[in-house]
Amino acid sequence: MSLDLQLTESEEMLRKTALDFIQRDAPKEVIQALQETDTGCSEELWRKATDIGWLGVIIPEMYGGTENPLTTAGVLFETLGLGPLPGPFFSSGILGSLIVLEAGTEEQKQRILPAVAAGEQILTLALTEPEYSWEPGAVQTTAESKNGDFVLNGVKLFTIDAQAATHFIVVARTGKKTVPGKGLSLFLVDSKSDGVSVRRMPGFFAGRNCEVKLDSVKVARSAMLGNKGEGWPALRQAINKSIPVLCAYKVGGCQAVLEMALEYSRIRVQFGQPVGRFQRVQDMIIEMFNHLEAARWTTYESLWKLDTQRPATESVHLAKVVSSEAYWQVCTLAHREFSGVGYAKDHPLSFHTRASRYLYNYLGDPSYHRQQIARLLTGC
Amino acid sequence: MDFSLEYTKEQAEFAKEVRRWLDENAPKDLVSPWDIRKTSPQEWQKRREFARKLGEKGWLYPRFPRQYGGGGLDVAHTFVVNEEIANRNLGPPPHYDSGGLAAPAILNCATEEQKKRFLPSMLKGEATTWQLFTEPDAGTDEANQQTSALRHVREKDHFVINGGKIFVGSIYGPPTQFLLLTKSDFEAPRHGNLAMFLAPANLPGITIQPLDLFPSGIFAQVGSGPGRKNSVFFDDVKIHESYLIGGDHDGWKVADATLTVEHGGGERVPRIPRNPVVEKFFAQCQNNPNVIKRLQENPELLHSVVDVYIGAQIERLWTLRNSGQPIRGGGPQLSMYGKMYGARLATVMASVLGPYAFADDEWALDDGIFETGERNAVCFAPGGTPEALKIVISRGLGIGR
Ligand SMILES: Cc1cc2nc3c(=O)[nH]c(=O)nc-3n(C[C@H](O)[C@H](O)[C@H](O)COP(=O)(O)OP(=O)(O)OC[C@H]3O[C@@H](n4cnc5c(N)ncnc54)[C@H](O)[C@@H]3O)c2cc1C
Repeated sequence: MSLDLQLTESEEMLRKTALDFIQRDAPKEVIQALQETDTGCSEELWRKATDIGWLGVIIPEMYGGTENPLTTAGVLFETLGLGPLPGPFFSSGILGSLIVLEAGTEEQKQRILPAVAAGEQILTLALTEPEYSWEPGAVQTTAESKNGDFVLNGVKLFTIDAQAATHFIVVARTGKKTVPGKGLSLFLVDSKSDGVSVRRMPGFFAGRNCEVKLDSVKVARSAMLGNKGEGWPALRQAINKSIPVLCAYKVGGCQAVLEMALEYSRIRVQFGQPVGRFQRVQDMIIEMFNHLEAARWTTYESLWKLDTQRPATESVHLAKVVSSEAYWQVCTLAHREFSGVGYAKDHPLSFHTRASRYLYNYLGDPSYHRQQIARLLTGC
Repeated sequence: MDFSLEYTKEQAEFAKEVRRWLDENAPKDLVSPWDIRKTSPQEWQKRREFARKLGEKGWLYPRFPRQYGGGGLDVAHTFVVNEEIANRNLGPPPHYDSGGLAAPAILNCATEEQKKRFLPSMLKGEATTWQLFTEPDAGTDEANQQTSALRHVREKDHFVINGGKIFVGSIYGPPTQFLLLTKSDFEAPRHGNLAMFLAPANLPGITIQPLDLFPSGIFAQVGSGPGRKNSVFFDDVKIHESYLIGGDHDGWKVADATLTVEHGGGERVPRIPRNPVVEKFFAQCQNNPNVIKRLQENPELLHSVVDVYIGAQIERLWTLRNSGQPIRGGGPQLSMYGKMYGARLATVMASVLGPYAFADDEWALDDGIFETGERNAVCFAPGGTPEALKIVISRGLGIGR
């Protein structure tokens, strides 16, 4: 047995760098300003993050990245989650990159990934549609082949970070819908193409969700990632590997909110004593602490399983259930503790509440992942 | 026992009369965004006009004595009036707090002369009143008032008020007046050092500053909060003692008279509880093909919908219970249940509706009611936090302080 639940030295270093970055470059005022932007990011922040190498954190060295294990990416995203720093870091640097790695041809990897690592291309997955689902059966966007190229038509809804992306990875139907998961292909679509329109969806909790309309968008055959009709299994793989990194971001969010709540329980005085002295407030904080620790360890175990090529599917679903619910509940509990002051739009807690909501369904909500666990556990 | 809320023959006749009156007098072209904050000033005014008409008729506050401008109706007829108004999605009218929270305090604690002076305009919907209790350092600990009301040094029949309130009021201020809790004595013991005023809002030295909070209120939802909150500052505001309600050391007692109502006690008129968020949610579960498909595919979601249904039934029955014989702790129990139920509902809506629960554009379901509902679901504070309500419940059960 070689049980060791500490961060490695290099992970510890990365964490420190990221923490410095958050404290110096993305303090409360910056995060607040970013909430209202369509992209969730500024050019300056993006450049700095790219210079440190964060966009290529898991991209293999041969494609211009730093080829770190997913656990390392988890450590980075946990730290970004403290902000919570918005922006397409996860969409492009993790999920987008993994889709290209899983689905792309060698030529495509060489062409796309260095640009992603350099922050020049920004990817985001455009999968979900008006019939909201993370299963292949709901995809209705079509890609018709015309003179060797393709024409895309459809609406992609609740597409995260679409305003920030230079390219969408569009999931479209290229074949009949007889078998779920068959007949779907992935296309790398330039967001500036004719026929593409993007709009951020309003709503305080809608966060970074966007609507992407594809109206007879022409794409070249070379924009199809991998083989025709075989997009889904690769996409599924990429999503599964990405999920724990997203979970780590939520762990960071839980951590930040717990710290805020602890701090507030010490300084907020009612009835002549800090409210943290009241057992009812302690109960809420302990519940938050439980959520955080449940999210943390399910997340890191699933990252470890993925990094060590162990069977990880069940563990990934577990992490997503636990961390999504944790982040949601931790924020709700914190609102109960902060009471009046926490409802201000510019209170840091409200940034987390927004993130906990708009990321709740992203890559599958808890009930979806619970159902996957049920299937794995019982075959039902 | 009889759980029936069906009208008797006589009540049905009365209901007809109410409907006829509403046909003639209720505004027909009201646009009601779910989020109260999206109401335009014109829409607001239309609602105010309707409230005045109702008040003129005595139906704005049907239970209150006629002599002070109320309707003088009994419980059953009040029920009929409230139902018929609610059936048209017209309640609660924007007369914020006047009759609901402030009038009981006036009725219980003011002098006869004050009742005659203040109540008619409130009960007839002419005056609006904001409840000004909370301060930055007096939240749950409401007795810890720092806003001072001290006798004017020379003009002994006047007080001078200094301080600030937070999380109070509504949109489209200023109102006519404030029900204002202050500290009148810096020597006297806690609770015995407070004074309550019904203060005109236009006195010199008063500033209102709107706050930008993300929760709002939902029209037609009882107890939904009024939508926008403000800070109100008092800077050497001079006020005549005739605005003092009760003695200048009786503030706590007066506050208690309104808080009993706010915590779910007070006037006991049965009502069919309406929670439009829940109603619309069930309609989605029944009619929206995408939602139905999700429910069919996932038993957990289906069960969570049943839980929401069960919660709604408990809330409904406790509402009816509270309108019968009062039970100790029953008011705050219902109030707390509503808050916790709302939080649970929010997670179920997000799971069942997906991110549509947060959509506030043409993709929004039911004109965005779920988006507004999601924001409000984290808002535990109005009328006391769940923890504060637990204190009140425990007291009711004889185990608290
Ligand atoms: C939308 C909205 C509308 C409002 N409307 C009005 C209004 O119209 N008029 C008005 O006067 N006020 C209003 N308020 C204020 C509201 O009444 C207060 O926010 C509430 O009483 C809580 O006070 P606080 O926010 O200062 O929280 P605090 O009292 O500071 O509470 C902080 C935390 O400590 C807990 N706590 C405090 N004391 C105890 C205790 N003894 N035991 C256990 N736990 C405790 C609380 O439950 C909470 O979790 C409104 C607030 C909001 C958000």
